[in-house]
Amino acid sequence: MQLSDTPEPARADAEPPATPPTPIASPSPLRRKLAAAAFLLLGVPALASADPMPSSPSWQLDATGLLYGERQRTSVIEPTARLTRLFANGQALSGQITLDAITGASPTGAVPSGQPLTTTTASGMVTTLPAGQVPTKKFNDLRGASDLSWDLPVGTLFKATTGAHYSREKDYQSVGASESFSLDVLRRLATITIGGGVNRDGVFPRGGTPVPLSDGTQVLTTGTDRKDVTTGLIGLSRVLTRRWLMGLSMTRTLETGYLTEPYKVISIVDSTDTAVDQRTENRPARHDRRAALASSVYHLAKDVIYVEYRYYWDDWGIRSHTADAKYRLELPDDAYLLPHVRYYTQSAASFYRPSLPQGDPLPTFASADYRIGDLSGVTIGATYGFKVPGSRGEWNVRVEYLRQWGPAGSFAGTGTPGGDDGGGGERATRAAAVALPSSKFGAFTSLDIGTIVVGYSIPF
Amino acid sequence: MKPLLFVLALTAAALLSSCAATAVKPWDRDLLAEKKMRFNAYPMIGAVDEHIYFSKEGSTGGASVAGGGCGCN
Repeated sequence: MQLSDTPEPARADAEPPATPPTPIASPSPLRRKLAAAAFLLLGVPALASADPMPSSPSWQLDATGLLYGERQRTSVIEPTARLTRLFANGQALSGQITLDAITGASPTGAVPSGQPLTTTTASGMVTTLPAGQVPTKKFNDLRGASDLSWDLPVGTLFKATTGAHYSREKDYQSVGASESFSLDVLRRLATITIGGGVNRDGVFPRGGTPVPLSDGTQVLTTGTDRKDVTTGLIGLSRVLTRRWLMGLSMTRTLETGYLTEPYKVISIVDSTDTAVDQRTENRPARHDRRAALASSVYHLAKDVIYVEYRYYWDDWGIRSHTADAKYRLELPDDAYLLPHVRYYTQSAASFYRPSLPQGDPLPTFASADYRIGDLSGVTIGATYGFKVPGSRGEWNVRVEYLRQWGPAGSFAGTGTPGGDDGGGGERATRAAAVALPSSKFGAFTSLDIGTIVVGYSIPF
Repeated sequence: MKPLLFVLALTAAALLSSCAATAVKPWDRDLLAEKKMRFNAYPMIGAVDEHIYFSKEGSTGGASVAGGGCGCN
């Protein structure tokens, strides 16, 4: 399963979907306190989710458009629309549609060559790569996803959230469901959340599933490989002061089945570090992931500071740290500016190999995908939110820049936010004519990514 | 990871203790009631980010259980 497609997943800090703006327009401190007390008397949860329930059923539309671009690599256009029905009793039912249109070139995982590199696909198509370039594969894909979510309050302290998901792309299908429960305790100063989700996914690589660690010309099956994902969550959020909210949550995700990237390859290198051949990759059929997240939201006089830290560890040997901070600067006329900075660093999986030495016995598992290698990344950007006078709708525009880097030669593989990279073609096989020592690939490699998101929300 | 789990359990216990925050009365929750005082105050953009990072990094999880699979990782 992955948690990346639902606009408002069941978080440990579970909150109802976005609702119409609160009726507290330009309140004085006394009015705001009176309004908060009124919400309490009405039984509205006051822990960071105190949007008043609508007096009659209403609708909310949220839409975003993502433009994603990697330098000289992949580009993605991803429009998303979500429609939410808000009921007078606090229930909320939402449906969402997402499309991903992905085009570009994705590195195969092989190291660059000092001479023109000729490759032949399983279907016999021959291509030649100029000397010194990272081997890539052109591809395109279109992914469609639909999500449903239903919030059901029971009494004033308990809420159940049910979710369902379906998505399909050229070589991947996902069907999933989730359920979470949240309970307000300590006079609504704290919320406890538990939840779980399951996905039954299918992988059907173009050209068939390759034999692991082979030259790629032989396939195991042309049918569907199964991939099952189960996730559990436990979380706690707590009001610490009138201005400060803190949360802790943990998730455990168990993936089983076909977890290999079918289009990725690993170069076989000789004693001079020169690529002489390549093999398909192979990953374990089980992946046990755990993550712990600490979150803080602090209200200054007007502005708000958001800080998060996540520690992640899994049985593949990957450990990562993620630190994320945002500052919401309030501007006149209901506008705001939200600068954002994020830092990420991870250690490599135990079976990560940028290349395999010629003549050595092949390991049981190996992958040259840089995303499971030693990797760091920084994101900087900002969101500008504003309202058009006379309209109830709210716009926001976000521009961000992400740079990822790793050790020399590690960026021989990539992914895209839309679909399975390389999904539009067949893996390249039978490398020939290679000579460049990988040390000439550079002592430092990186990937530059730019994103623009435009969003619009309106209650009606 | 036992030390980490111990620290998390201890922190959770401290957060749940009644002495962690006793001064926030119901009529003092005006700021907390604002929409921007949510952990996930920008859910649509947050979903875009999760999708991007899931496809570009080896880690995932921590905050949610819902959502759908993707061949991007």
